[in-house]
Amino acid sequence: MTPSDCLSPTRRGVLISLGAGIVAMSLPQGTLAQTPASVLKFGLSTFPPTIKPFDNTGGAANTVKLMLYRGLMGYDASGKLVTELADSFSWTDPTTVVFKLRPNAVFHDGSPVTSADVAFSLNAITKEGSTAFLKSDLKIISAVEAVDDKTVKITLKAPSAIFLDLLASYCCPVISKKSTDSETIGAGPFTLKGSEKNVYIEVARFKDFYMADQPRVEGIRFVAYADENLRYAALEAGDVDLIEYLPWTQFDTVEASKTLKMKATLGPFMFLLFNVTSGPFANPKVRQAVGYAIERQDVVEAAFAGRGEPLFGFPNPRGSTFDLADPAHEWKYDVEKAKALLTEAGYANGFECRLLATATYGMHQDTASVVQAYLGAIGINATLDLPDWGTRVTAGKEGKYDIAVHGTSGNYNDPDALWSLLYSGNPSYLQSFGFKSARIDGLLEQGRNEVDPDKRKAIYQQLVVAYYEEVPQVPLNWRIQAYAMKQSVEGFEQLPGFLSGSSGYALDETKFA
Amino acid sequence: MMSVRNFHKRMILPSLFLAALIIIPFAAPLITADDPVKIAVRYRLAAPDLEHWLGRDEFGRDRLARVLYGGQVSLTVAFVATTIACIIGTFFGLVGAYFRGPSEFVTSRLSDIVLCFPPILLALLVVTLFGPGSVTLVAVLSVLYFPTFARITFSEALRVTSLDFVEASRALGTPSYRIVLGTVLPNIAGPLSVQYSLTAAAAITIESGLSFLGLGVVPPAPSWGQMIRGARQFMNQDPLGIMIPCAALVLTIFAINFFCDRLRDTLDPKGASGSSMDEVSKPKAQADAPTIKDPDVVAVINKLRLETAHFGTPAVIEDVSLILRANQCTALVGESGSGKSLSSLALMGLLPGAIRQVGGTLQLRRKSDEVVDLGFLDARTLEDIRGNDIAMIFQEPMTSLNPIHKISDQMIEAITAHRPMSRSDARAHAIALLKRVGMNDAERRIDSYPDQMSGGMRQRVMIGMALSCEPRLLIADEPTTALDVTIQAEIIELLQTLRQDQGNGLSLLFISHNLGVVADIADRVAVMYSGLIVEEGPAAQILRDPHHPYTRALIESMPSSHEELNSARGDRLPAISGTPPLPSARPSGCTFRDRCPIALPACADIRPALYPSADGERAVRCLRAPEAPAGVMNHQTEAA
Amino acid sequence: MLAFISRRMAAAVAMLLVIGTIIFSLLIIVPGDPAELLLSTGGGSASAEAIANLRVNMGLDKPVLTQYVTFLYNTARLDFGTSIVDNGSISSVIALRLPRTLEIIIAGTIFALLLAIPAGTAAGLRAGGKFDITASAINALLTSIPGFVLGTLFIFFFAQVLGWLPAGGYVAFATNPMQHLQMLVLPALTVGLHLATIVFRMTRASVLEMRGHDWVRTAVAKGLRRKRVVRRHILYNALGPIITVVGLQLGILLGSTVLVEFIYNWPGLSGLLVSAVEQRDYPTVRAVILTVAAIFIGINLVIDILSSLLDPRIRLQ
Repeated sequence: MTPSDCLSPTRRGVLISLGAGIVAMSLPQGTLAQTPASVLKFGLSTFPPTIKPFDNTGGAANTVKLMLYRGLMGYDASGKLVTELADSFSWTDPTTVVFKLRPNAVFHDGSPVTSADVAFSLNAITKEGSTAFLKSDLKIISAVEAVDDKTVKITLKAPSAIFLDLLASYCCPVISKKSTDSETIGAGPFTLKGSEKNVYIEVARFKDFYMADQPRVEGIRFVAYADENLRYAALEAGDVDLIEYLPWTQFDTVEASKTLKMKATLGPFMFLLFNVTSGPFANPKVRQAVGYAIERQDVVEAAFAGRGEPLFGFPNPRGSTFDLADPAHEWKYDVEKAKALLTEAGYANGFECRLLATATYGMHQDTASVVQAYLGAIGINATLDLPDWGTRVTAGKEGKYDIAVHGTSGNYNDPDALWSLLYSGNPSYLQSFGFKSARIDGLLEQGRNEVDPDKRKAIYQQLVVAYYEEVPQVPLNWRIQAYAMKQSVEGFEQLPGFLSGSSGYALDETKFA
Repeated sequence: MMSVRNFHKRMILPSLFLAALIIIPFAAPLITADDPVKIAVRYRLAAPDLEHWLGRDEFGRDRLARVLYGGQVSLTVAFVATTIACIIGTFFGLVGAYFRGPSEFVTSRLSDIVLCFPPILLALLVVTLFGPGSVTLVAVLSVLYFPTFARITFSEALRVTSLDFVEASRALGTPSYRIVLGTVLPNIAGPLSVQYSLTAAAAITIESGLSFLGLGVVPPAPSWGQMIRGARQFMNQDPLGIMIPCAALVLTIFAINFFCDRLRDTLDPKGASGSSMDEVSKPKAQADAPTIKDPDVVAVINKLRLETAHFGTPAVIEDVSLILRANQCTALVGESGSGKSLSSLALMGLLPGAIRQVGGTLQLRRKSDEVVDLGFLDARTLEDIRGNDIAMIFQEPMTSLNPIHKISDQMIEAITAHRPMSRSDARAHAIALLKRVGMNDAERRIDSYPDQMSGGMRQRVMIGMALSCEPRLLIADEPTTALDVTIQAEIIELLQTLRQDQGNGLSLLFISHNLGVVADIADRVAVMYSGLIVEEGPAAQILRDPHHPYTRALIESMPSSHEELNSARGDRLPAISGTPPLPSARPSGCTFRDRCPIALPACADIRPALYPSADGERAVRCLRAPEAPAGVMNHQTEAA
Repeated sequence: MLAFISRRMAAAVAMLLVIGTIIFSLLIIVPGDPAELLLSTGGGSASAEAIANLRVNMGLDKPVLTQYVTFLYNTARLDFGTSIVDNGSISSVIALRLPRTLEIIIAGTIFALLLAIPAGTAAGLRAGGKFDITASAINALLTSIPGFVLGTLFIFFFAQVLGWLPAGGYVAFATNPMQHLQMLVLPALTVGLHLATIVFRMTRASVLEMRGHDWVRTAVAKGLRRKRVVRRHILYNALGPIITVVGLQLGILLGSTVLVEFIYNWPGLSGLLVSAVEQRDYPTVRAVILTVAAIFIGINLVIDILSSLLDPRIRLQ
């Protein structure tokens, strides 16, 4: 027996078990081919929880959905409404629109896109038991009629200024009537090639896509990087070609970089919500005081590394056709006025309250930190409540807060996009808890159902005043949203304003230099 | 005495270090006037200057203030949680251990279930679900760590409650709570305090980890984990921002670990890194040593002097000389601590690392008749000699064999270490040896483990193993002391037989405190007392007519019956009072004088030499012995 | 031995039942509605009607007791069911993810053992010597660095400053073996270094204790070569406690990879749990926790069996 034998029983055992482990983990997991050079690698901020065509499950999911599915309408890279599956459309009267479908539009299974598919899809959204994002919005449809295979007539219950925008939504695609719950057949520029939960989704170019020269890459591989620093590091290291939600702290680096570039827009905005059912915040004067108490530029500096703009009044989206600027009805930073309003409301000595945000998103937490500091300056001592996102949503919905920080974007560049944030008929955690204003609701309804631009503008100007006086929310700032990419990536554009989340449309024209 | 002094000395540095790191955060208001939560966004990420020594963070808050106040938060959460966990855990553990039965079941099962969850996972889950905040953190950490305390308390308390004095107080009807609080708890405080510091360090780590994930302390209250989380985004532009909280965190955990290590070493010196030497210290070379001329002499110990490795301590062995001859059994006799075992270990080159040979020579005639001085040999040659030319049997057969290897393996390696042969040949040889030492059914028993054998059997194995390479010198260090009386006789008989059977004239060095056994086996006797040989000569003469009062006392103390023989174990001498002095407390003059019934005033001044008898057969180290030179007591000044 | 194992197995099943029940109850009292959450991803919102419909689809409208019984029944058949978020099979996701987490742990453990056992042995054999003092000091410092700090610093130095290794991410071994291994280095090192400090301490202490035993003196007295004495009579005996510690640590590591996976974007089991908790995907949370607990209990069982194989004294009892 040699000395080296003496450890052999254990050593051998360890080696055998290690060997087994290594073999087990190196077994190919769904044998992936080497990614070809013309496949775009896209770093997502989160893995799409689902890619159900009509549900809204977040920006990442919506981008992926735009690759797989298309609707009647869409947007071009400048944010202009364009036809997608529709070849053309015409309004026969304010409540009737007729779409002609593209003759060459086919689904991924090869069958042509017909008016029956359009009717099937719109019905799937509005039918009983549907979980669709646009279910309540599309209740405005009274009938969908297949005139012939390629012609479809939609009748509305009332005129709508934003109906076409709804049809261009990533939550309003046309899918084949052969689709089932487990398998959705779309007509988008790419087909689903493979995916692994929480890791990646890969799509491949659909060769029969109706735009002959699009898409311009062979495929796109979406990889999820939940941590923003890592997402940026992956771009910098060349692991991915394009990332969404470039962290604000890296804007300077990208701007200075020779190998990277970015596309940015002032899209979403940050705001404060209140529980108005009881306590000090039931009084609009207190809410106005909050509006005056915050130096918004500091929020922009601290939470967004200076990448944003203070927002002093009604959040009319960038790219909106109306100019609603009204300096008389804005909250500029003015501590004296804030204190005066508090005194007027009977809170000269301030009060204690709970400020709800979330630890899941750094920008919410950072915004809350600055807001807390400024509230302290007028005597409102806010305790931060920073649960994870899930608890935050429930707390918001159930009104378990006094003030809450939130940030969001609308879906199209029109004041009507604020509907879900202001219309009390559809309460959610996006609205101040218990806030109800017949005046604001009425103006929103009028604006939606008015098709004359001048009259609409007048309605929304009134809304700006109502917003200032009743304070359904206190706006804080616009934030810049940016995609960053390698210099070699061409043709990708960030869609402007609230359309930022629909930038997936621009991937049709994205290619490598 | 030593431990108390060392306790203080070794604990000073870690205690100061830890205290500083705990006190500094709480002294924050004295150090900086800045408010850790005051935002000044205009100055975000400002570089250090005179007013803000560490610069400002991403909100323009003063970093020094944040790292200090952050320490308060982190430390408070960790220590409050640990204290709660300690109290709950100790309570459960004590109740479980003291009352046993159902409470024991509940304690251990509860702990098992919590221990099933990896700590961070459970913390993450609970904090995510119930919302972050210091209160949640403290609750989670307490739940996470109380089972560890419960377990430690439980096992330690079980040990303590079975102790005699606890049993006694129970029998006396002392109330349970008083036994538990007054007796059991103080006795388990040591392990608990170590666990306390360990847990505090772990709690700080988890607290900061959760804060790093955004699930810990709620902003704007600072915490180190949170500062790291915030600074991570700016790591590229501003490395200082992330270094500061990292350094604070690491230093604090380090201080606690450091304190904890020292505390553990102090409470349980077994694990302490006390000895700075290898496990065996090498014999020392002595250039001018005479070589063995007489072919009959197997080994010579000449004027051996051993000291402990600590500087300035007195010699443990002052002067030992022995000549060991072939076909002879020399007995080395004395009380425990007299230095008999050390002398024999020196001959094996097996002195413990803490002992150094500072004088004398150790010489050996190898089987090849080559005479070697152990001091001149390299480690490899020493290995060749051990087990081959000299072999040794130890006192404790229960621990002398490795419990996790079969007897066969342990014997075979002893054989093949010196004789190149195949495993099967070595095995056959081993079986033959076992038969020779009187083991029945050797073929089967050779494959058993030591724990399957009785002490006597194991000692037979040890003897067989020692003889496996037919050494010239066999050292038997109290080979029967640990054994039962009937077995003792068998082993002595076996040694006798073997000595006579051994062809090449085996020399046996037999170490014992038991003169009865010595009388049976020894040709010559050397009596040791306090590191010195005090009397030496033929066994028959010495036992019949001892000249040294110590030898006399030994003989008088000889137990008459076997039972007493077993119980005495050389620890006490009934014939004389007192115990042998420690090396550091040896009296001047004759080291035995304090216990000596015939000591004279002169014995305090003169350290007697080993005076040989006229015929040179025997020698004795006593002023009052017949061998002592006549004038020695009159030359006090000269000797002093 | 067989009775021992079957008794332990029964206890393990009982324990898993308790754990499953605890987790089930925890998830019931937790705030957050998976249906609403799913439809609010990224800050949007859906109509109350849509949310209610989704709750029905998810099966959350059923009474709690029914859900509990279904959960127990399915778990007993080793069927973890499907995720309520995307209807994917949970078992197959775990089967995909678990090996990746184990990969980091195993790679880290190999690194730790290769580094710490020789170092710990050398330090233990010469306790108090120069090597021991140096190694112990480095060890004490490394022990004090939490994994997430080490990971953050590693990314900073190795990926961002030096650019030697990727900052994080995952590529299947089959896709690109080289890249896979590169991406494995930092996570494995982060896990491994921490484990190494524990193994080092244990090895050192164990060797220190073993080297003082009488049988070591016997082995030296037999004239065995020093190397053999160290290996066979010190290290071999010291292996028992080391294996116990490593085993326990493996279980704990399974949980503490949460931070490592987060920092390095490594798609392992812990990341799955984190996202499942975020999405309130109850079946997935329960399945992952039960899997981890089962592995932990399994490891403990294996340790017990292994130590009894290593030490005949335990086996003979």
